This record gives sequence, structure tokens and C-alpha cells, in this order.
Amino acid sequence: MEFLNGLVFLTNFVIVPALAYGAQLAIGALGVTLVYAILRFSNFAHGDTMAFGTAVTIKVTAVLVGIGVTLGPLPTALLALPVGIAATGLLVLGTDWLVYKFYRVQKAKPVILVIVSLGVMFVLNGLTRVFIGVRDIQFADGARFVITVQQFKAATGLDEGLAIRTTQAITMVTAAITVAALFWFLNKTRTGKSMRAFSDNEDLALLSGIDPDRVVRVTWLIVAALATIAGVLYGLDKSFKAFTYFQLLLPIFAAAIVGGIGNPVGAIAGGFLIAFAEVTVTYPLKKVLTYWLPESMAPEGLVQLLSGDYKFAVSFMILLIVLLFKPTGLFKGQSI
Amino acid sequence: MSDNPYQDDRGNKDRSITKSGGGTAQPVAKGGKTSPAPGTPFLIGDSMTGGYGKGPDILHGCTIAVEPGEIAVIVGPNGAGKSTAMKAMFGMLDVRSGHVMLDGEDITALSPQDRVVKGMGFVPQTHNIFTSMTVEENLEMGAFIRRDDFRDTMAQIYDLFPILKEKRLQPAGELSGGQRQQVAVGRALMTKPKVLMLDEPTAGVSPIVMDELFDRIIEVARTGIPILMVEQNARQALEIADKAYVLVQGANAHTGTGKELLANPDVRRSFLGG
Amino acid sequence: MTDSLRTGLFTGFVALLILGTGFLDNWNLALVILNYGLISAIMALGVNLQWGLAGLFNVGVMGFVALGGLASVLISMPPVAEAWAAGGGRTLLGLAIGAAVIVGLVAVYKRMTKGRARNIILLLLTVAGFFAFRTVFDGGVAAIESVNPSLTGYLGGLNFGGDAGRDWWWMPIIAWPVGGLLAAGAAWAIGKTALGLRSDYLAIATLGIAEIIIAVLKNENWMSRGVLNVTGLPRPVPYETDLQADPGFLSAVQDLGVDPTTASTIAVKLAYAGLFAVFLVVLLILAQRALHSPWGRMMRAIRDNEVAAEAMGKDVTRRHLQIFVIGSAICGLAGAMMTTLDGQMTPAAYQPLRFTFLVWVMVIVGGSGNNIGAVLGGLLIWWLWVAVGEYGPDLMIWATSGLHADSALKASLIDSAPQMRFLVMGTVLLLILRFSPRGILPEK
Repeated sequence: MEFLNGLVFLTNFVIVPALAYGAQLAIGALGVTLVYAILRFSNFAHGDTMAFGTAVTIKVTAVLVGIGVTLGPLPTALLALPVGIAATGLLVLGTDWLVYKFYRVQKAKPVILVIVSLGVMFVLNGLTRVFIGVRDIQFADGARFVITVQQFKAATGLDEGLAIRTTQAITMVTAAITVAALFWFLNKTRTGKSMRAFSDNEDLALLSGIDPDRVVRVTWLIVAALATIAGVLYGLDKSFKAFTYFQLLLPIFAAAIVGGIGNPVGAIAGGFLIAFAEVTVTYPLKKVLTYWLPESMAPEGLVQLLSGDYKFAVSFMILLIVLLFKPTGLFKGQSI
Repeated sequence: MSDNPYQDDRGNKDRSITKSGGGTAQPVAKGGKTSPAPGTPFLIGDSMTGGYGKGPDILHGCTIAVEPGEIAVIVGPNGAGKSTAMKAMFGMLDVRSGHVMLDGEDITALSPQDRVVKGMGFVPQTHNIFTSMTVEENLEMGAFIRRDDFRDTMAQIYDLFPILKEKRLQPAGELSGGQRQQVAVGRALMTKPKVLMLDEPTAGVSPIVMDELFDRIIEVARTGIPILMVEQNARQALEIADKAYVLVQGANAHTGTGKELLANPDVRRSFLGG
Repeated sequence: MTDSLRTGLFTGFVALLILGTGFLDNWNLALVILNYGLISAIMALGVNLQWGLAGLFNVGVMGFVALGGLASVLISMPPVAEAWAAGGGRTLLGLAIGAAVIVGLVAVYKRMTKGRARNIILLLLTVAGFFAFRTVFDGGVAAIESVNPSLTGYLGGLNFGGDAGRDWWWMPIIAWPVGGLLAAGAAWAIGKTALGLRSDYLAIATLGIAEIIIAVLKNENWMSRGVLNVTGLPRPVPYETDLQADPGFLSAVQDLGVDPTTASTIAVKLAYAGLFAVFLVVLLILAQRALHSPWGRMMRAIRDNEVAAEAMGKDVTRRHLQIFVIGSAICGLAGAMMTTLDGQMTPAAYQPLRFTFLVWVMVIVGGSGNNIGAVLGGLLIWWLWVAVGEYGPDLMIWATSGLHADSALKASLIDSAPQMRFLVMGTVLLLILRFSPRGILPEK
């Protein structure tokens, strides 16, 4: 019983939040990794692309709620999500046409594209702030919980309760569907395979008759979808604030690189690794240990290894340790 | 420092933000048209002059041709422009003067992709497989431009290279050097090309594997596909060649059948070590 | 257009912008822009050394700037004796334990052979070391932070010059190079790790370290009061109130016929501008001389052909580390100057867009690899940044004057005017990258 209580407590406060956060990071990192694999640079504008997609989704959600269309127990934002994805898709295709395409024709070096993406980041950042403002926005509606603490306690008779918020459940389900669809696309379809071929060997892809422009277009569209999904899931689970999304760049980059940048499986593993490390190290584990350890060894302090503000430090330490021992990341990077 | 400011990366090679090894080809742009050129050899690069980008000319009026049923071989010293001539015929660099004709059409203005569609298959010397993809996926990518059912062709290639069938679900990057070359040739054959161009197919493989590869190439030629091949290993290549070109400094030095060139004292002295 | 003409025109243009602001708007604003512009120019100089001369992609400028700010607090603030008595020793002991554990870990890793025994010892040492560190350290920190928390609650600095440190007015100037040293130390640690890995991971490493430094500054109240901020930092220049009470100053002002209050604020800003300009000019001369010295030629040789340089026996990684440390030190120096100018340390004010990426815009717009370009780029972009924030709303009100007074669009456009800064900066960067990729003053 003690053990179970400890486990439930851990699940409630560490495992479930970390799974949800990990799924959000993983989808974000997938977007970064795809751009890296196909277009060969790290996109610093990715956080702001996420913010833009989420902002559009929030506006559409508001309109839908305004005319009385909701999804019942599910957040209305899910209904608005396709519109957000479409708008973001148009935005990134427009950006590519207006900005990035020129540098591809010039055969610009990837680091120049990184600097270009800094410019795009500034513009998108300003655009999103002008569009939706800088306030903190909560846009999750519908039922708050799938299981509440009381229901769980009543059902199991344990002292500790487990609550699963709707947004957490939706995050995990959506993430699973998204990842499955992406992998099916990359490994089973002709277009997906041509993307992998292009990422592997650009010249040979050309020789095989693969059209680079089409590969790039499809990539941007997928990236727009991934960014919007990640952004909306994060916003539903926590809240939307333009600046927070910009700051997600570090854990997302860390996740992509830890996993092996350019490798989609790595991006997912990296996302969960970073999320679990952040949540575990910054959550006070006193209660879990009180349940699990014999009374004489029960801890006095909170056993919060690091204060919550250090979560970025945790992402970074994990990154450093992995790279010291596995320079190409957990899964071999630089290919999809 | 590069002349093009967009290509100046200041020596940065930060792996956390940039991926190395981008495409290096400077192919003929898309959208070019063909014009009829009756009465020319099946595939001919006619008095080609050109080089990479804005660089100096590497080819100086070089002519290479191949007819159906033939194996044509290009040999010559290092830096003679053998690979460049091959790439020029495939549209991987701009030909500043001269023409490339295939099957009675002038294709000089076509992009490499369009030349693939016209029936040219090309196996580059290096980086000629998708290392992270399985053998079968490599073959599928070879057939990328085909919208019909290509399972027959794949079966034929597996017949030709049985080891590939065995390893078809393995990533091609995990294969041995000789096996990789078979994947590369197989990939190019997937379009059912009307002509196959091989750039040093035996580079870097052991002598035993080299013999086997030559046998396979002859086998491909017997199916009726003309083959144009650049070879470092001049003697062995000339032995199987119906037609042979010796290039020196981007121009034709000797032309003839393989046997003629093997017997030519000049060629023997210069390239075959007496 | 010759290089020197171009440089002259660009210098004239930047001077015109700042003087124009003074003549057309007000001199206080013009001098504020100039002062922060001079500091920005120093930051740009540091980043330009790293990117322009060595191709190092540092996206953690903010962290080094913040460390400089920390130095300002640690050097120029008066010490808090009670806090030192309460827990100073214990905190330092805790830190020493932490450092010893890290040294021990490295030693074990290097000395012992690979295997399970080493892993177990490393793990045990980490866990034991961490708890020992936390036990000692946390106690000290708690004691320090409980000393008059609303005013101090931290150890203070090293300025023994009177109550508020005003007697030792020169301490802030000492703090600036110390800020550089602090940043250099952090840069050395991070560069040693990131450049030493099998492939180069400097970008993500600097991105991470900057966030970590900010997290430490926000959190470690015993050191610099965290988000409670340290205010009232001593100044290296006179205070306005002192000037207004100084008969000599008043009579001088009277002769000029200027209002004493305005005159005192301008005099203070001019004094700062003079100080900053001295530092900037010295650094610029050093940077120019370095660029044209054998060392600078070697750095460029490494940048343009690393393989050849390596074949000639140059230790590329070491040179990169060297220039990374120097560039970061310059950013730290600028950061310390800025905190002194602000008169306060506010960790929450450090935002990557403003302190990392804006400096990048300065360097790219000015001209990567050109020191004078970076300096002028710093002044230009800083002027633009302030001008868009300052004049943007007025411009927006003017631009929307055609719209109906209570239209929602008009209201939201005027509200969002301050956010236009980012749009403008991004657009400027993209335009320069597209049409003048070498910047306004290209590298020779």
C-alpha cells in the first residue's frame, strides 16, 4: 500500500505531467529536426512559428465559441486546429518563397540560413505580438479532468489520488497519432521516402529525378503542422504567451540534439528525456521517498534537487552529458 | 573566402545548428527544351567545352559517343577531365560550347532530371547510394520517376545481383564496398535506361570484387543497354571496350576500339606502363 | 566608393541620427541613446571578434552580459557585514565543497580505468557530493537571506568606501574589467567543453549557458538578491543632486544660460559618455591592431582554410577557445558598464532577443569581420531600436488618424506599436542579408 501510494503520487505529480510535456517537446523537436535534415539548418524561428500557429488557433477558437460551436467535453481549440495549421502552412510557404528560396538558389551555406532564420524569428515574434498581444491567454475549455483525484481515490481506496487533466490526455493521444502519421508518411509513402533520400544525399536525389523544390515545400508544410500542433497542445496544457514559446526553443533544440539531430526517433526520445529530467529534478520528491523509504530514512527536507527556475539548466546538463559520451546523440544523428 | 558572400560560412562548422554535406552539383537549370538532331550517334557529347561554375574550362572540345550494344570506355591520366566529361553529358555542369545528343535529339539544355526521363542512367563515382535507406528503398528511389509498376525491373535487378535480394531490408550504408557499387548500378537500372553511364565503378574495391563487377557490367551490356564508363584501371577496361577514348587535359588524345588502343605503342607507353 | 569614404559616410550618418535626435527632440534622449549605443557597440565588437574573425556562433551573449552585471554588484556595492557574519563563511565553504566534488569527479574519471568500478564510484561521489554541498550551502544561504531581507539579504560587494560606497566612486570602473574576467571564466569553461567535443556544439552550448546564468542570477538571492534586484549601485560620475548643490557648477551653468536641473542631467550623461567612449576607443584600437597582427592573420587563415591551417601545425581548437574567451570577456565588460549605467541589477530584464540576437543584428548589419562596421552597426541599430519604441506609437497614431476614433483596429494598432521593434529589426536584418550580405561596411 505504501509503495502504491508513493507510485500514485509520483505518477500524479511527475510522470503524467512529464509525459505530456515530453510529448509537446517531442513534436516541437520533430519540426526542428525535419528542417535540419532537409534544409540543413537549425530553425531559430521554430518557437515563434509555434506561437503564430497557436495564436491563429486561439483566434479561431474564440470565433467558434462566440457563435456557439464547441466540442463538448473536448477543447474547442481542436476544432480550430486545422485552420491554425493551414494558416501556418501558408505563412511558412510564403516565408520560404520570399526569404529562404533565394538562398537555396545561391547555394548559401547553412550557417547563413541560420542567421536568416534569426531575422525570420524577429519578424514572426513581432507579428505574433501585434496579432494577439503579449498577455497570458488560457484557451482550454470543455471538461477539465478525465479522472479527478476524488474519483481515483474512491475507485482505488488509496490515500493518494491521481488526476488526469483532459489536456494531458489529449496531448498524449494527439501526439501518438501525429507521430504515427509522420512515421508512416516518411517510411511508407513515395513522397516521404523521397524526403529521406533528399536528406541523405542531395545530389543523388537530383540524379534520381526527385524535385528538390517539392521536397522543400512538403517539408515546410509538415513542419507548420507539427509546430502548430505542438504549440496548441502546450498552450492547452499550460497557457499561451508569446514569450514563453520563444523560450521553448532551448529545450526543443536540446531534445533534438540529445536524440541525434536530424533523426526523428531521436527527437521523440530526446523530448521525453528532457521533460522527465526537468520535472523530476525540479519537483520536491519528499512525499514519494516518505512512502518508499523506511521511516528511519525518511528525508527531512523537500528533496527538491534544484529549484524550478533551473529547468533550463537541467535540459542543458543532460545535453552535455549525452554529447560527452555519445557525440552524435542517443540515436545516430544527421539523417532521417 | 568565397566570392559569393552567401557561401561564406567563415569556417563555421557548428554541428548543433548546421548540417554538413549539402549538394555540390551545379546542374543545368530546369525548363530547357530539346531539338531534333537526326543522324547523330545514339549518345554523343560533341566537342564539349566547359567547367564548374565560373571556374576555368576543364573540357576543351572533347567528343565522346556510344552506340547501342557497345561498351565505351574513357581512360586517361588523373585530372584529364574524364569524370567531368561524363558529368557534362549528364547535365551536371554547364557546357559552354558543344552539344549533347541522345537518340536523335539535342538535349544540351535539359536538366539532369529531364535527362533521366529521356532514358539516361548515371552512377556517380562517390556518394552513389542512399546510405541510411534500405537496399530496396534505394532501388525504389531509382525508380522515382516511374509511375508504372516497377516490380519486374526490381526482380530483374535482384536476378542480376542476387546478394542485393538477400540484403534488401538492410541499410545500404552497412554493405561492403562491392555490394554498395551493385546497389548503385541497380539504382540507375531501375529507370530501365536507354544508356548507362558509370563513373569509375571499381574505385576502391578489391581486385576480386573488381573482376566480378566487370562481369556484371558485361552482363548488363549484353541485355542491350549501351554503357559509357570512366575507368581508372585502364588495361582491364580496354579489354572489354568496344570503343575507347583516351583523354588528356580535357581533349581527345586517342580514339579507337579497345584492342586498337591496347596495341597502340603511344597509349601503352603513356598509360599502361609499357 | 572607397573603403574610407564608405566608413566616413556611415560614421557621419550615425552621428547625424544621434545629433538629429538631440536637436529635434531632446538632448537627454540623444545622450541616453549614445550611452547605451556605446555599450552596444562594445558588445558588437566582442561578437564580431568571435563571428567575424573566427566564425564562432555565440548565441549566449546575454549570459556574458549578465555576468558582467553581476560583477558590478559584487565589486561596487558595499558589503553587508551582518550577512557575512551570519552565513558568509558557510556559503563559501559549501561552494568550495561543490568545486572539490567536481574536481574529484574529473580526477576519478581521468585516473581510473573504464569499467563498472569507475561508474559506481562516480555515481556515489556525485550523490554524496551533491548532498554534502546542499547541506552546507543551503544553511549558509538561508542565514544570509534572512538578514534584513527587504533591504539586503545578500552578501553585498567589496566596496568599503563609506555607507553607500560613494566614497570609493572609482569602484564601478574597477568592476568593469572584473565583469570581463567573470565572463571570460564562464566562456573558458563552456568553450573548453563545447569546442572539445568531437564535433562543434558551441551554438547550443552558449544558448544553454546563457539561460543557466540568468536562472542563477534570478535564484541565488544570497549573491545578488535575485529577482528582488539590487538598486542604488554607486556611480563613477557625480550625482545630479550633488551638481545642483555645487556652486562652481551653478555659476558655470549660469554663464551658459541653461537651466541647472537639465544641465546637471546632461552633464552626468556626458560624463558617462566620455568614460564609455574611452573604453570603446581603446578596445577598438586593440581590436584593429589584433586584426592586422600576425595573430589576426593566423585567425583569418584558420577561418578561411581550417584544414590547411591545421596541417601547418596550428592548434585550431585552442585558437577558437582563445578568441571565444576574449570576445565573451568584451561582452562581460560591456555588461558591467551597462549595469553601472542602469544603477541597478534586474535579472528579469535580461531577454535573449534584446541582449543576444539584437547584438547579432548589429554585427551583421554593420559588417561581419569589420570592427568599425560592428561599432557603427551597434550605434545605428541601437538608435533604431530606441527610435521605433519612442516614435513608433506617435507614428502609429498619425498613420491611423484616418480611422474612426473608437475603431477596434485603431486601438489594437496603437497598442501594438511597441511590438513593432521586433518586426523592424527582423526586416532590417533580412534586407541587409539579402541585398548587402557583407553588411554596410564589408570586411576588407
